[in-house]
Amino acid sequence: MQMRMASAISTGLHAAVLLWALVSFSGKTFEVTPAESLPVDLVSEKDFSEMTKGAKQAPKLEIPKPLVEKIADAKPAEEIAPKLTEKQELKATAEKTPEPQPLPKPDPIAEKLKKQDEQKQQAKAEPQPLPPKKPVQKQPKFDADKIAALLDKRDPQRNAATGAELNSTPSLGAASGNAARLSQSEIDALRARLMSLWNPPVGAQDADQFQVTIRIRFKRDGTLDIGPQVMTSGSGARFNAIRDSAVRAVLIGQPFTMLRPDHYDIWKEIDFTFDTKEMFSNIPAR
Amino acid sequence: MNPADVAQSVLPLTSSDLSLFTLFWHAHWIVKAVMVGLLVCSVWVWAIAIDKTVLYTRSKRAMDRFEQAFWSGQSLEELYRSLSSKPTHSMAALFVAAMREWKRSFEGQARSFAGLQMRIEKVMEVTIAREVERLERRLLVLATVGSAGPFIGLFGTVWGIMTSFQSIAASKNTSLAVVAPGIAEALFATAIGLVAAIPATIFYNKFASEVNKLAQRLEGFADEFAAILSRQIDERG
Repeated sequence: MQMRMASAISTGLHAAVLLWALVSFSGKTFEVTPAESLPVDLVSEKDFSEMTKGAKQAPKLEIPKPLVEKIADAKPAEEIAPKLTEKQELKATAEKTPEPQPLPKPDPIAEKLKKQDEQKQQAKAEPQPLPPKKPVQKQPKFDADKIAALLDKRDPQRNAATGAELNSTPSLGAASGNAARLSQSEIDALRARLMSLWNPPVGAQDADQFQVTIRIRFKRDGTLDIGPQVMTSGSGARFNAIRDSAVRAVLIGQPFTMLRPDHYDIWKEIDFTFDTKEMFSNIPAR
Repeated sequence: MNPADVAQSVLPLTSSDLSLFTLFWHAHWIVKAVMVGLLVCSVWVWAIAIDKTVLYTRSKRAMDRFEQAFWSGQSLEELYRSLSSKPTHSMAALFVAAMREWKRSFEGQARSFAGLQMRIEKVMEVTIAREVERLERRLLVLATVGSAGPFIGLFGTVWGIMTSFQSIAASKNTSLAVVAPGIAEALFATAIGLVAAIPATIFYNKFASEVNKLAQRLEGFADEFAAILSRQIDERG
């Protein structure tokens, strides 16, 4: 009675909902508006790691050159001690007179030709009576208001980008990139020197599980600008011993003459990681 | 080979044809059974809900009316006579049961008052239990559908996804065009499960509280009526 009517109502309701769903729930395919195609340059890993420092509006060059404002010192700085002895040697060489260079032999045919040429030129020059009037050169007016335009607004304390040769036209590149990089041989040389000088405490327990990163700031001559900063934090007597040995290695190793001053910008600050695992990698594990 | 073509050749369902009917029709028969079962559950749940809503509103209104008549000072005999033939609601049934017991004790040869109070209370207790049982009937269906519906739907979904993965393996292609229709079809089972379960749970909670309220009201009336009858017994005895 009551329940039957309720069932009928319920069935009717469901049928209505289903009918509505059949009409409205038809799967619509997603309309994807085609995106505008963009030209994309693929940058290889090598290109990315060698990103050049550059300007946004620079024309695209085939081979990117870094912006160079200042030619770096060509020769590496020498140590102070040998300089004193060199001076005496220089005195001795200065007294030598330069060897007289042999004069070139006069060529008779060439001289004749020259004479003929001179005669011709004289003949040509004669008909021109007056030299052309020099245009009146405008004296540049001094305008005190425009002094500001003449000022170099760049930070005077900035480090001018240095390189082997001047290059005033920047190429495309990132703000903090450097195309010229340390060559592998330079890095290897630095690594080899530091590793040879590094003498970590070998007998320490778990000695092959320590890494100490040290920030080294160089001067242009390859000596340290400020003391080596330890970037890795740690504690314990073993860590301290290994850290101190790494700092010692850096201090002993200067000057690092294997770093060319041409690329001072690149190696003026280096984070070098002393890894005990590398040190002991040749020792077979027990 | 274009993945869409693969989908078309391997699966009967393509992404462009996802209407409700095709979703159902291309499903595995177990999934179909789950869907149909859940649909029947949903129909049943709503039927119960409609029935109970009507029943509770009616009995509430009838109780209001009865209480008004009861406390209006009308003679209880008269009230009994008008209701005794066919008590239409719980409170009337309670009243009639108690009055019948009272009358039987008085109209019988032995005018035994000893234990009459207890008898009346017992009778009313039994009547309340019976009436509450009547009010509560089929509410358990709602609870069951509410708790089991999602799981049944989930079972259908898992089964559908299993079969659709099998067809993916057969087509050796994992493009979205191959995967999507099977998954959509499988998820449809869970959707139906939730559609059945959510109203069931809501209705169950609502009706359970309403039954509780009605039962409280019946018990209150029973206590009051018992007090009145007990006063009568003491006066007469």
